[in-house]
Amino acid sequence: MNNTMLIVAREYLTRVKKKSFIILTLLVPLLLAALMVVPVLLATKGREHVNVMVVDDNEIYINNFIEDEKTSFSYRSGDIEQIKKEALAGDYDVVLYFPQSSQKVNANMYYNEEPSMYLRSELESQINNMFFDHVLQDSFHIDLDKYKTIKDLARSQITMIQIDEYGDEKESMAEMNKSIGMICGFIIYFVIFFFSGQVLRGVLEEKNNRIVEVLISSVKPIELLLGKIIGIALVGLTQFLIWIVFTLVILTGVQLAMPEKFMELSGVDKEQIMETVRDSQVVEAVNNSQMAAGDIDAGGIFAEISNYFPISFTEMILCFLFFFLTGYLMYSALFAAVGSAADNETDSTQLTMPITMPLLLTIVLVMPIADNPNGPLAFWLSIIPLTSPVAMLTRLPSGVPLWEVLLSMVLMLLFFVFVVWFAAKVYRTGILMYGKKVSWKEIWKWVRHQ
Amino acid sequence: MNIIEVQNVTKKYSNHLALDNISLSIRKGIVYGLLGPNGAGKTTLIRILNQITAPDSGTVLFNGNPLSRKDVEKIGYLPEERGLYKKMKVGEEAMYLARLKGLSKEEALERLKYWFIKFEIQNWWNKKVEELSKGMQQKLQFIITVVHRPDFLILDEPFSGLDPINTNLIRQELLELKRQGTTIIISTHNMASVEEICDEICLINKSHKILDGNLMEIKQQFKENIFSLTLSAEREIPVFPEAFSVLETSTSSNQRHYVVKVHEGGNSNQLLKFVMDYGNVLEFNEILPSMNDIFIQQVEKYNSEFKIQNP
Repeated sequence: MNNTMLIVAREYLTRVKKKSFIILTLLVPLLLAALMVVPVLLATKGREHVNVMVVDDNEIYINNFIEDEKTSFSYRSGDIEQIKKEALAGDYDVVLYFPQSSQKVNANMYYNEEPSMYLRSELESQINNMFFDHVLQDSFHIDLDKYKTIKDLARSQITMIQIDEYGDEKESMAEMNKSIGMICGFIIYFVIFFFSGQVLRGVLEEKNNRIVEVLISSVKPIELLLGKIIGIALVGLTQFLIWIVFTLVILTGVQLAMPEKFMELSGVDKEQIMETVRDSQVVEAVNNSQMAAGDIDAGGIFAEISNYFPISFTEMILCFLFFFLTGYLMYSALFAAVGSAADNETDSTQLTMPITMPLLLTIVLVMPIADNPNGPLAFWLSIIPLTSPVAMLTRLPSGVPLWEVLLSMVLMLLFFVFVVWFAAKVYRTGILMYGKKVSWKEIWKWVRHQ
Repeated sequence: MNIIEVQNVTKKYSNHLALDNISLSIRKGIVYGLLGPNGAGKTTLIRILNQITAPDSGTVLFNGNPLSRKDVEKIGYLPEERGLYKKMKVGEEAMYLARLKGLSKEEALERLKYWFIKFEIQNWWNKKVEELSKGMQQKLQFIITVVHRPDFLILDEPFSGLDPINTNLIRQELLELKRQGTTIIISTHNMASVEEICDEICLINKSHKILDGNLMEIKQQFKENIFSLTLSAEREIPVFPEAFSVLETSTSSNQRHYVVKVHEGGNSNQLLKFVMDYGNVLEFNEILPSMNDIFIQQVEKYNSEFKIQNP
């Protein structure tokens, strides 16, 4: 055991001290935080108060723009050159000018400082609505009030409600779940490959520079194998931990530095959620979380985010860690076995093919799995150990019956024990074989031997 | 007292027999040469002694008890194919491998310091292994092999790739370790080094032991009664009696040198008496066969018998 610990420590420390590890570990949280913060900043940019001066030569839009707390409108007519100069020199941020033309929806916007994208699209949509009303009234002589009443009535909305095995109803956000599922599937696929690939390269390195013979004259091959696998698993977990903590720290820092922007954003989101899911139980959840968010100030935005998931953040992370660990252990043990049988990386790719096929197959099928998370394809792929990490993670956000998750986990563990037994046998023989091209048939002989 | 007792060890790989019923014993405190052509089974035997592989049948006793896992701390192993982690720092790597042999951190550090100072390589400690020359790496590998003060040292081709200065350095260290009581087993093709440092040898060929014992005794056993003599003589010896035949002669100024084989019925004293009549004997000694000759002769003899038995 002491030897295994020494090996774990070496495998861990040499990797953690590498420049590439440090760079990757620091870079990813920055990227993640940027991915989350930049859209927020972009979305809220220019949501300061805007004074709009409208000059309409066609006289369609005068006094018709709808004001809100961030946008106010004034109207003038006359020489556009004159008004432009005065208005922009004065209190106005932009001048919206509709020149006399047959294309009555086209306008020019004059400004000194570029207004937000939001303002432009907002104005465009208002103009379209007003023009539509104008045409209905002027050309078709339709009573606008009646039309609006009918239009308000004709707003269909389908609320998706999933009923789980206890008969509890749950608001479903299928599209969101689908994309989250696919992202999770891709992430776990990537990390399993990334870290078990390191085990494969480590085994090949020891074999190629022949240190393995010195090592196994001191320790048992199984100690060496487990030490390497555990050491690299700890590297992976360290990296995840740093990523999560750093991302949270950066996000919280940004949120504290610019609280008003995030308050505003979460305010908008809450309204949207309220609107789309009104009359459903989620409102309650949102209200609860609002209270929770009030209690823990900095946690606000995360509580907000967690409302999008039908399964809780903690459950998701626990499942992710379980399937990452078991999936990684399984694949790394298989890779180590294969690496020990090969002489170089080129040979090893041929031998790893049958092992990586199931994983590649699952990643190709991630779309269909996400589309139909409870279909037979998704079910079987998430039960079979070699494919279950990716398939199960893809399904999880859409909600998976507990017994299926547990069955999948138990099968993973059983299969893992088998794989380690298999890998230990192959590894023991393989690391001492040089200059021989080994086939899967040969490897099977080693396993049956004794 | 034997440190190692190999009893009827057989090891079979899927397609060939690597060791066939081998028995040998190694006395404590000697240097033991393990000889044999390539593919004879030496590496397999060494791996069994290191517990890297297990024999199919037979037993190995270490200090009288069956070889067990805890004995690895008492064994030092220098494999033929040298290898170190290239990217690690010299000091860290030495510490790691020393601790895998059961040394505590403090012990490992103290002993490594001793060796690094002895070999005058203290300034390597923080260098990366890949920065060292091949000869330097060999020195480091040797230190790693002996740092835990093993009772039993297994060296596979210890002198290959070393320059004469380092060869001499390592040989001196081995003799010093022997003086301190370490038993050393050397597997090598270098017969000159065998004659220089081995006390006993074992010759393996085609998975069988064909010869073992004390080096001097083996040489005696295979001697062919050949004598070398030099005399200062005015004239050449015209005809030798029938019991002797001359294999070689050479002359420089008035010194005459002969290599003579004494046949059955004759002996060295008769030879000496005979030549004394022709001049003053300057040198007279028996030529024992070299280990190289014995090796080639025995292996070829075994192989031809093997062919007859297994045509």
